[in-house]
Amino acid sequence: MIALKRSLLARAADDRMVVAVALALAATAAVVVVGGLSGYRVNTIGQLACFALLALALDLIWGYAGILSLGHGLFFAIGGYVVGMHLLERSVAETGITPDIVQFMGWKALPGWWGPLESFPVALVAAMGVSFAVAFVFGWASFRSRVSGVYFAIITQALVYVAMLLMFRNDTGFGGNNGMTGFQVAFGVPIQDPAVTKGLALASVLVLLAALVGCRLLMIGRFGRLLVATRDDEVRLRSLGYETLRLKLKVWCLSAVLAALAGLLYVPQVGIINPRVLSPELSIEIAVWCAIGGRGRLAGAIIGAVLVNAVKFALSASLPELWPFVLAALVIVVALIFPNGLLDLGKWKPTLLSRARALEPRDATP
Amino acid sequence: MRMGRRLGLLLLAFGAGWGSPALAYDRAQIATQACSGAAGLSEAAATLTAGASSATPEDAAWAARLTGALLDKTIRCGAGASTIESPSGSVDAATLAKAAPAEGPAPVLSLKNRPLVETARAAATLFAGATAGDRATALRALERRAASLPPELFETAAAREPDAGLKEQILGVGQSALLNSPDVAKRIAAIERIAAQPSRRAETQIAALKSDPAYAKQPAFAAAVDAGLASIDRWLRVSSVANTLYNGLSFASILFMAAVGLAIIFGLMGVINLAQGEFIMLGAYVTYAVQETLRAVAPGLLDWYLILAIPVVFLVVAAVGVALEATLVRRLYTRPLMTLLATWAVSLLIVNLVRVGVGTQNLQFVTPSWLAGGKLLVGDFIVTWNRLFAIVFAGVTLVATWAVLKRTPLGLNIRAVTQNRAMAGCIGVPTRRVDMMAFGLGSGLAGLAGLALCPIYNVNPQMGSNFVIDSFMVVVLGGVGTLAGTVVAALGVGQINVLIEPLYGAVAAKVIVLLMIVGFLQWRPEGLYAVKGRRK
Repeated sequence: MIALKRSLLARAADDRMVVAVALALAATAAVVVVGGLSGYRVNTIGQLACFALLALALDLIWGYAGILSLGHGLFFAIGGYVVGMHLLERSVAETGITPDIVQFMGWKALPGWWGPLESFPVALVAAMGVSFAVAFVFGWASFRSRVSGVYFAIITQALVYVAMLLMFRNDTGFGGNNGMTGFQVAFGVPIQDPAVTKGLALASVLVLLAALVGCRLLMIGRFGRLLVATRDDEVRLRSLGYETLRLKLKVWCLSAVLAALAGLLYVPQVGIINPRVLSPELSIEIAVWCAIGGRGRLAGAIIGAVLVNAVKFALSASLPELWPFVLAALVIVVALIFPNGLLDLGKWKPTLLSRARALEPRDATP
Repeated sequence: MRMGRRLGLLLLAFGAGWGSPALAYDRAQIATQACSGAAGLSEAAATLTAGASSATPEDAAWAARLTGALLDKTIRCGAGASTIESPSGSVDAATLAKAAPAEGPAPVLSLKNRPLVETARAAATLFAGATAGDRATALRALERRAASLPPELFETAAAREPDAGLKEQILGVGQSALLNSPDVAKRIAAIERIAAQPSRRAETQIAALKSDPAYAKQPAFAAAVDAGLASIDRWLRVSSVANTLYNGLSFASILFMAAVGLAIIFGLMGVINLAQGEFIMLGAYVTYAVQETLRAVAPGLLDWYLILAIPVVFLVVAAVGVALEATLVRRLYTRPLMTLLATWAVSLLIVNLVRVGVGTQNLQFVTPSWLAGGKLLVGDFIVTWNRLFAIVFAGVTLVATWAVLKRTPLGLNIRAVTQNRAMAGCIGVPTRRVDMMAFGLGSGLAGLAGLALCPIYNVNPQMGSNFVIDSFMVVVLGGVGTLAGTVVAALGVGQINVLIEPLYGAVAAKVIVLLMIVGFLQWRPEGLYAVKGRRK
């Protein structure tokens, strides 16, 4: 009984955190709408929201299902490339300016099969559909053979690495090393227009808010509980008759689609997509955001992503060479002292040096 | 036997003599021609080249002197006689007797005439060159145009050549010239001899004969050309397969050394060290430090720095590994996924420390004399010593690792803890100490991989990331049970990479390897050689 009460209390605290973050997001959205912020700040807010959405997607599978993906940049990039194609098509259709990609790829015009992407709903469905399909096939193959834990992390890392090598080739047909850039219009408005910046930032924050609330509802429900059970003891759950393959596959695909959405919102805001998004380093960084913020709480992922990236933005303006050291130090400190991320700070329970029973499946080490 | 060979050579010399009637150079006429404009100069050079094999030694020396003067522009074309300038005074261009310097410029060598004169000089030097080195240089100059030269030139030169090694070379080059001999039997023999040493050049040489008029007219000749081409083609295919396998083997060696440490650590502790690539890089940098220290302290030993660095690299990188284990990895045993992130942070730290401390440029390594070059085995398959070094080194590492795992108390402990940590702990194996030592061992092996890479790859702070994902794949594919798994997986991944690369490109090779591994895991989720036991 006591254990049950305590876990309810913990859930309440968690809820408070989620509520706080959700309120903060709503407030941010309001500030963006009301105005008074410079275009640069609004743009930063939008980018941070995209990173937070990406971290949220990873937290779903790492925090709740115990599956660490070191290749989530792949789904982010799928969203980014699809929206890149959409923006190029729109730009050509509305301004008639030939984009650079046509020249350096040696084309006469944009490839014909990009045509349907000119409509945004099609692009949206395409981005989500492609990332879903990739995630489904890869996840099914991996989970079916019960690849998990470190193995899975390593294979996803190889997956994103291979994807990066593929996209760096010019022959692959997506702009190679240069990627896609030179977008002229977004949603019918010139892309330099402050309204576009504002609208995109607002959309990012609102999508993030919706994702947070939606995932929270999903995770405190039956699905979320089954996921946590899978994480903690998959064998037992299977013995009880649950099909864990299907559970894992569902959350894996959901996470991939959310990551693609993040990429879709991110690219119009920075105006470029290239294969560097697919570098294994970026994908590891996503996991780092989650780890720093705290896993398995959704709010933690958002806080981690926003904090780390805010520091990164600030440092890369003034002391870019310092950033890798700061990041490495952050990760090591969090790994050693705050096993459950910076959310531990709130409870001030720094479980120094390995005593913490963290969120890993218990049989992770033989 | 020896008598017979001498007799044969004598006959050969006579035969050459009969084949082209002995003609002494008309020195005066040639010297005048050389000074009479471009057309005359071409003719003079052609006469000198054609007559080189039948000229007397004095004539050959004169021809070498004249052509040398033409190339050096030390000749002066006067109205009457021309003279050659030299530090000891000027001499007559035809007689080499002392003469007053003529008034006039040296003839201009056109683009067309320069190679002709060079060939004439080389032909003359082949006979008149004072040292074997001079004659060898001349031979190399002639080699490129051998097919356009009279075959007697090489036969006679070979017969007169005192240096046995050079004689062989001259005969070898002579084969190309014999291809154009008027005697079909000689041509066929030459084709056979050229085909016996298959190479791309031999192939183009013989393939060119297909457009020769004799190819259509003489069936024996055509058959010899076809047979020669077929034989060369067969050997070239063999050698290209050999080349591919050899490159794959050297890549696999590096992969093995990078992966074996990972596999031991993963099998033992269930953690993957993402800083393994940076340990490879550290190994290469320590090797560099050893090289620079030797250069400063004992330059005589510089040639052996790769050998002397082995213990240093192993100990230094192993110490870094032990430090990493004791400060970080040990604290995260219950959280292997967090270990991934923590070791990644360490790799980030190491790369940036090296970048700030040493710089981002590629390090310059001395190639030891014993690693330079290689041996041509067959066709164009060259066993290069630097790659052979990596292969042999990996082999030695394999044996040493096997010995450590199977023949030492530490190895026994490592195997025990790998199989059942709790049980090993119960019977008194100090599991934490074993972990630390094994982590050190694995890190040291990665450092050695870096050492083996020094003569083959670019060494810079980024180099680790090029190998790390491939070596992870080796671990995933090979499983963690045995060394054999790592060896087989490294060979497989290495060979598949180099086999696919020429067909579809390097990127496709990586894609296919990844797909094959994901597919393979469907069939054997624990890798090739999993330790038998309860499946989790």
